[in-house]
Amino acid sequence: MTVFHFFNCAMLTFGPHAVYYSATTLSEYDTIGTSIKAAVVYLITALVKLICLATFLKVPENDNFDPYQELLKALIGFIDVAGFYLALTRLTHRNISQNHKYQAVGLGWAFADSVLHRLAPLWVGARGLEFTWEYIFQGIEANANLVLNLAFAALGSLMWLKKNKPRTLLPIIYACAGILATMPSIISYLRRTLGWQRPKVLAFEMISSLVMAFLSWQLLCLSKTINTAKLLI
Amino acid sequence: MTGRQRGGGEVVCSIYSVLALVLILVACVELGDAATAVDVYRLIQYDLAGAPYGSRFSGLNHHAGSEPFAPGADLSRTVVILPVRELNLTLLQEYITGGRAIGGLLLLLPQDIGNKIVGGNKNKDIGLVRSILSELEQLLIHANLPYPVYFAFENDKTNAVLADVRRGDAAGQPASAATGGYKLVVSTAEPKKVSSPTITNIQGWLPGLKGEGTTQLPTIAVVASYDTFGAAPALSVGSDSNGSGAVVLLEIARLFSRLYSSPKTRGRYNLLFGLTSGGPYNYNGTMKWLRSFDQRLRESIEYAICLHSIGSSSNELWLHVSKPPENAYIKQVYESLSDVAKDLGVTVGIKHKKINISNPRVAWEHEQFSRVRVTAATLSELSVAPELLESTGGLHDTRDAVDEAAIHRSIKLVAESLARHIYGYEGKNINIFADNSSLGINPSYVNSWLDLLSRTPRVAAFLSKNDPIISALKKELSDHTDEVHVQHEIMDGMFSFYDSTRATMNIYQVASVTFDLLLLVAVGSYLIFLFSFLVIITRGLDDLIHMLRRPPQRKTKAA
Repeated sequence: MTVFHFFNCAMLTFGPHAVYYSATTLSEYDTIGTSIKAAVVYLITALVKLICLATFLKVPENDNFDPYQELLKALIGFIDVAGFYLALTRLTHRNISQNHKYQAVGLGWAFADSVLHRLAPLWVGARGLEFTWEYIFQGIEANANLVLNLAFAALGSLMWLKKNKPRTLLPIIYACAGILATMPSIISYLRRTLGWQRPKVLAFEMISSLVMAFLSWQLLCLSKTINTAKLLI
Repeated sequence: MTGRQRGGGEVVCSIYSVLALVLILVACVELGDAATAVDVYRLIQYDLAGAPYGSRFSGLNHHAGSEPFAPGADLSRTVVILPVRELNLTLLQEYITGGRAIGGLLLLLPQDIGNKIVGGNKNKDIGLVRSILSELEQLLIHANLPYPVYFAFENDKTNAVLADVRRGDAAGQPASAATGGYKLVVSTAEPKKVSSPTITNIQGWLPGLKGEGTTQLPTIAVVASYDTFGAAPALSVGSDSNGSGAVVLLEIARLFSRLYSSPKTRGRYNLLFGLTSGGPYNYNGTMKWLRSFDQRLRESIEYAICLHSIGSSSNELWLHVSKPPENAYIKQVYESLSDVAKDLGVTVGIKHKKINISNPRVAWEHEQFSRVRVTAATLSELSVAPELLESTGGLHDTRDAVDEAAIHRSIKLVAESLARHIYGYEGKNINIFADNSSLGINPSYVNSWLDLLSRTPRVAAFLSKNDPIISALKKELSDHTDEVHVQHEIMDGMFSFYDSTRATMNIYQVASVTFDLLLLVAVGSYLIFLFSFLVIITRGLDDLIHMLRRPPQRKTKAA
């Protein structure tokens, strides 16, 4: 029964990535190579981040929200952004359309993130006799994370891959990207300072990821229409 | 039913079921407690002359349940949790002697039974709980139970678990694999027989002043047994039976060692102090100790005073003898005791019980002496001889079953009467061990030893040869006496014990099988929903329909 629970939570955590890959047109164009490369870039980025965190951060004595430490953590979080940039622009991909490129990169990134952060606790914890809601929450968090990463990848592709960026939308694009990049800091701020409980934080993550996904989708569509409009002109 | 309708209907159904499941899951959020671990103490397991008694198993891995149960419910995979405070003994009889098959029994003892109550304000409840406990103990140690029985102390965690279990049971669902609840797990090895349990007798010898001539000085022996037996051997501290006797013996030894330290005050009697083991088992240890005496020593013993349970607060003590009270020696001992008792406000009665050599049952320690023709008597607060394995210190016999004032009185009584006899001041109005004198009783000494003994479970089979308490008693006697001799013997074969007396019980909150199945359905439907949603968005609805229709087409193609 407890392996059953592990299986359930693993499906909840990693299933959506597989489903996303097979359901969308990614599987038809065989973009698995891109995803794997993005996962590797994520691993390297995570290592660099760890080294920076270990070097620059102090061990906190209590659990309060220290603004300088959080600022430092946010700055280190921008290494994430740099990694994403690398994955989107520098990696040599086969001839796949931009649309698929950012989706594949986002998917690979999110999958590596889930595996790294959630597989080990799941394996160790969910197989015990004791039942907690923790692993189900983790699974939901993984889903929210996937949506967030896809949204960020979309905005990233808008910012760095397009040759002609639509002038009017740029500030919004940068603002959304900024919010997405600082999302981890926001969540830790909510958890520590405001003392939100786990389900509340989770609800916030889900809603914010859906909102950001919607926003980035709208931005993509708008930039497409603006571009086609420009071409027509 | 077109595929389109089916696809649409499926999506709607999934949404509703997922919503309903989310609501159910959210409503049950309190299920998410962490596992707790509780110290538990197992019921004793022993064989008496081959017949098995006590709880025969130690491993436990079942769901928790509590009263009231539906009549005829299957409890063979349930651990019944019973708090002793509200115990209904007739109900327990059903489980024990009625042969109702249960998976295990967990008895919750109230916290204050284990702690010392400061001040004289003894709760009436405690008295009631004590009487329930002694009845419960007698019931359990004479039963043969084919399931594990554990004792644990009540604390917040166990109270929370019990309340939860009761709530669940009240809702009409007996806890089992299908309905969640709590699982109690004790993982210990199978209990093994304790091979050759040792009983250790400690004796201290205080020689008297040898006068002119080489005549052997007479000896007076003061004896007490220090080991216990109870339903939970890890909790059998036996403060009154017979921690009180051991403490009185130690204090008397200390007082007389002061008197005997200078030749001017040394009496013309040798004093022999004996801390014997094997008390509950027909004073087996005392018999072996007496057998080890050589003839001369045995013949030189004028009389022996045995001490058993002299620590409770009643003002009545009994002198139990096996020789008729008209016997000159017995008369003398009794009179010296009652003289001192008058001054202390205590009455000492005399009880005569003939010994039957063919009967192996030895109810008092003095009977072992009488069997080797040494005059002896037992001083005790009990008026009736206890049965086998009764009054041997058990769950109810904790620190606050003993009254310190009563112990002081008993020490004074025995020490004064001994001293008056040794120094020939019988009948005289003299107070040798006056309070606040250098020979006064030391209350802190008495209390500290009483506290130590009330913290140490002393079931003989589980005391090794070098157990700390045995070494402590030996060291104490060697401080007060000249020669200390420790005798290790193997317990007689009539009793055999099994180990595994304490363990840690893990209480897990488990989710039921139905919950896991629901979760599987929820996650599965979520993934299917996600899949169809994505296909519809990226490739269009027709693609989804084609995908669903493709497998049958492929099959026909292959065929």
